[in-house]
Amino acid sequence: MNMEHMDIPDELERNLLEYKGRISTEVRMQLLDLIKCIALLNLGPRSDLKQLIGIALELLDNAQRHSARNDVDFRWHIMNDQLVVTISNIAKREDAHRLMEAVDAIDRMSPMQITEAFRQQLAQGGFSEKGGAGLGILHIARKVGRNIVADVEAIEPDEFRCTSTVSTDLGKSRKTA
Amino acid sequence: MDNLNIPASHNTPQVVYDPDSATFSMVGTSIPENAGAFYGPVVQWLQAHARDLPDDCTFIFSLPYFNSSSLKAIYTVLLEVKKAIDMGRNFTVNWHVEDQDDFMTEAGETYQDMLGMTINLTPGSPMM
Repeated sequence: MNMEHMDIPDELERNLLEYKGRISTEVRMQLLDLIKCIALLNLGPRSDLKQLIGIALELLDNAQRHSARNDVDFRWHIMNDQLVVTISNIAKREDAHRLMEAVDAIDRMSPMQITEAFRQQLAQGGFSEKGGAGLGILHIARKVGRNIVADVEAIEPDEFRCTSTVSTDLGKSRKTA
Repeated sequence: MDNLNIPASHNTPQVVYDPDSATFSMVGTSIPENAGAFYGPVVQWLQAHARDLPDDCTFIFSLPYFNSSSLKAIYTVLLEVKKAIDMGRNFTVNWHVEDQDDFMTEAGETYQDMLGMTINLTPGSPMM
C-alpha cells in the first residue's frame, strides 16, 4: 500500500492551532492574539472573521470558567470547507450537566428561536457566581446554528470530561439577526 | 461628581468620563473572566450621575473584541444611558465599527433593536 496516498492533503485538513495545558486569563489572552493572527493569515480578510474567532474565544472562556482542574485541550482546524473548533476540559457534575442541557436545547431550536433565546438571556439573565452570563453557547449558535456537539464522560464520581465541537461552513458568511 | 477613570488592562477596556469634552468613552478589548464585576462600578457610576451629565454628552463605544459576558454587561451600561434619554436627556451614542466587521455591526444593531434607542454605527476608531 502506498502510504503517501493515505495522507490527508493540505487542502482537506489544516491543523491551525492546538493547545493542551493549563488555562488562565493570560493564556487565554495569548491564545486569542495567536488565533487572530492565524485566522487572518489562513482565512484571509472576511467580514465574519471576528465571529469565527469569537467561537474559539467563547469556548476558551467557558473552559476556563468551568474547568475543575484548570486544564484544557483545544484544537482549531480546517476540515474540508469547515472551520472546526474542539475543546475539552474536566468539569464538575453541575457544569457538565449545564453544558449538555444548553446544547440539547439549541438542538431543538430554529434559527429564529436561537435569536429569541439569545435576546431573552441578554435582557433578562444575570451573572453567575463565576461571572458567566449564560450567553456563550447561544452566542456561538447564532453564528453556526445547530452545528454544536457536546459529549460528557465521567472520569471521577464528580468530575466529567466535557468535549464540545463547533463547526462552521467557511464557504458562506452567514448573517444573523 | 465622582471621577470615572478606569485604565485599560490587557483584557479590559479603558472607561473614562471626560467632563471637559462631555464624553464618556469605553475603548479596548473586553474579555474579562467576570464581566459583571468589571462593569459593576461603571453601571453604578451611571446610576449616580447620568442625570447630571450635560445634555450634549456623547457616549463612545469602541470595542474591537468582547466576549458574551461583556456583551451582557455592556447591555446594562447602555440600559442606564437609555433610562437617562427616556427622562429627556439628549445624549448621543456612537458605536464604532471597523470596516466590514459583522461582529461589531451585529452587536450594535442588536443593542439598538433591543433597547429601542438610536445608536450611531460609526466607521473606524474614535479620535481620542
